[in-house]
Amino acid sequence: MQLFLPILMFVAASTVLAGGLLFLGGLIGPSRAGKVKEMPYESGMDPIHDTRRRFDVRFHLVAIAFLIFDVELLFLYPWAVASRNPQGIDAAVSAGLIGSRGLVFAEVIVFIALLALGFVYALRKGVFQWR
Amino acid sequence: MATDLPSLMQNVVAPLVKIVLLIGGLMTAAAYFVLLERWMAAWVQDRRGPNRVGIPLTRIKLLGLGQPLADGIKFITKEEYTPAHVDKPIYILAPIVILAAALAIFAVIPFGSVLPPIPGIPGLDKEPIPLLVAPGLDPSLVFVFALSSIAVFPVILGGWASNNKYSFLGGLRSSAQLIAYEIPLGLGILGVALVSGSIRLDKVIVDQAASGVWNAFLQPLGLLVFVVAAFAEAARLPFDLPEAEQELIGGYHTEYAGLKLLLFLVAEFLHMITAAFLIVILFFGGWHLWGLTGFSEESISWAQALLRIAVLSAKVFLVILFFMMVRWSWPRFRFDQLMALAWKVLLPLGLVNLVVVAVMVEYGGTLKSQFGGGVYWIFAISGWLALIAAWVVAALVSPSHDDNTPRRAAQKFDTEAEFYRTF
Repeated sequence: MQLFLPILMFVAASTVLAGGLLFLGGLIGPSRAGKVKEMPYESGMDPIHDTRRRFDVRFHLVAIAFLIFDVELLFLYPWAVASRNPQGIDAAVSAGLIGSRGLVFAEVIVFIALLALGFVYALRKGVFQWR
Repeated sequence: MATDLPSLMQNVVAPLVKIVLLIGGLMTAAAYFVLLERWMAAWVQDRRGPNRVGIPLTRIKLLGLGQPLADGIKFITKEEYTPAHVDKPIYILAPIVILAAALAIFAVIPFGSVLPPIPGIPGLDKEPIPLLVAPGLDPSLVFVFALSSIAVFPVILGGWASNNKYSFLGGLRSSAQLIAYEIPLGLGILGVALVSGSIRLDKVIVDQAASGVWNAFLQPLGLLVFVVAAFAEAARLPFDLPEAEQELIGGYHTEYAGLKLLLFLVAEFLHMITAAFLIVILFFGGWHLWGLTGFSEESISWAQALLRIAVLSAKVFLVILFFMMVRWSWPRFRFDQLMALAWKVLLPLGLVNLVVVAVMVEYGGTLKSQFGGGVYWIFAISGWLALIAAWVVAALVSPSHDDNTPRRAAQKFDTEAEFYRTF
């Protein structure tokens, strides 16, 4: 709790600042509405069609690829931190929880190799090709 | 939680003071960096930048230093306008969220080292005071990641809620860009986490200060990947597609005006400042400078504490100058080039860096017993070799002249119905 209290205070302070600025602007600034002013701005053209329509599936593909690689990266973080940390892998080895350092390293290399394999597969499939 | 005076001072008042100082400092810094950016632009284009606004009602111009203040007053007195065609709650929420998230990242970013204990103030008179709002938070880089991911939401929400085709396109583009570059960003940080054995930013600095070897020397490839990804995350010029003025009017903030627009613009500058801080802290030793700042956090004099703040600020300032120079040096990428750079170049380069650093860290202990301090030379040489090799391979596999060939002729459709029939 004591660890996160300053963060909560910071988030609260910055939200209040942002909201307060908007409120202040609403108080001070003028307010005049108009028919043309309320139209969507499209460089002077009268807008045609609705905005909410189907959009390109490529964006969906990027999102999926992101999810896969980001989760794989998240798996690497605990190892990266534990690797040199005195309370990390070395402590676990001397406590007898893991066989040896080399085993962990080999597993991670295999994991990265699998990740690279998946990357090559996606690349050959043309997932990253923006057509 | 104890409620006696010393712990109250330590846990509530001291963070509050730091928060007020930081937010005030950051908002001022963002305002003056806008002025600096305009001066930079003027210098690059060989013209005079803003140099008129000084003290009002006098003829004193002060080199234009009054400009940010005048801009701020102008923004506040502008109409706080909400168009009729927008989704009101989301439209108003988006700028608030983006500014709050951009500011809150600084809760875990150290803006100096520590201050010596201040005698006479209960709670602060025993231990050194860390110049960090939330000290002792172990996974502080995870917090940075979480908040920088939140920055995607206001962009796409603002673009969607605006109910404007240009805003919508801008929002789509920037969400794709921001999430694509988050992966190289994470890969760049992994190398640093491996070397330091921690993802606490203050610990990363202390580590580099203790060994005297900055991460930039050991893993230049990681630095390259991280810097490019940080530019893209901050949507700075070679990567500013979210708001490419010539194509998208204002991008996702086309429909925003007045203070709501100001919040978006300030958040953008804050992203750049955050990126500069992270580059300096992770790769350039934070407050450390050889022979000047020492490396102990336990005993520190006031002079040394202030010197460390100065060194850190100077480094951040230099990185920001670099950001601004880059803005006027490279043209904008095309969207397919942008995506290709993230997925086909930076992702494999980041993986190569990760493997090289992992091997160095794994066998570094054995090597250290043989070579002593010389082990850093081995690390540095292998890091730079990896950079050169990866660069050459990347250049051979996808040569830059290939990159600019015209795109495959797109299929043409006479009517919209014909287009939708192809699905």
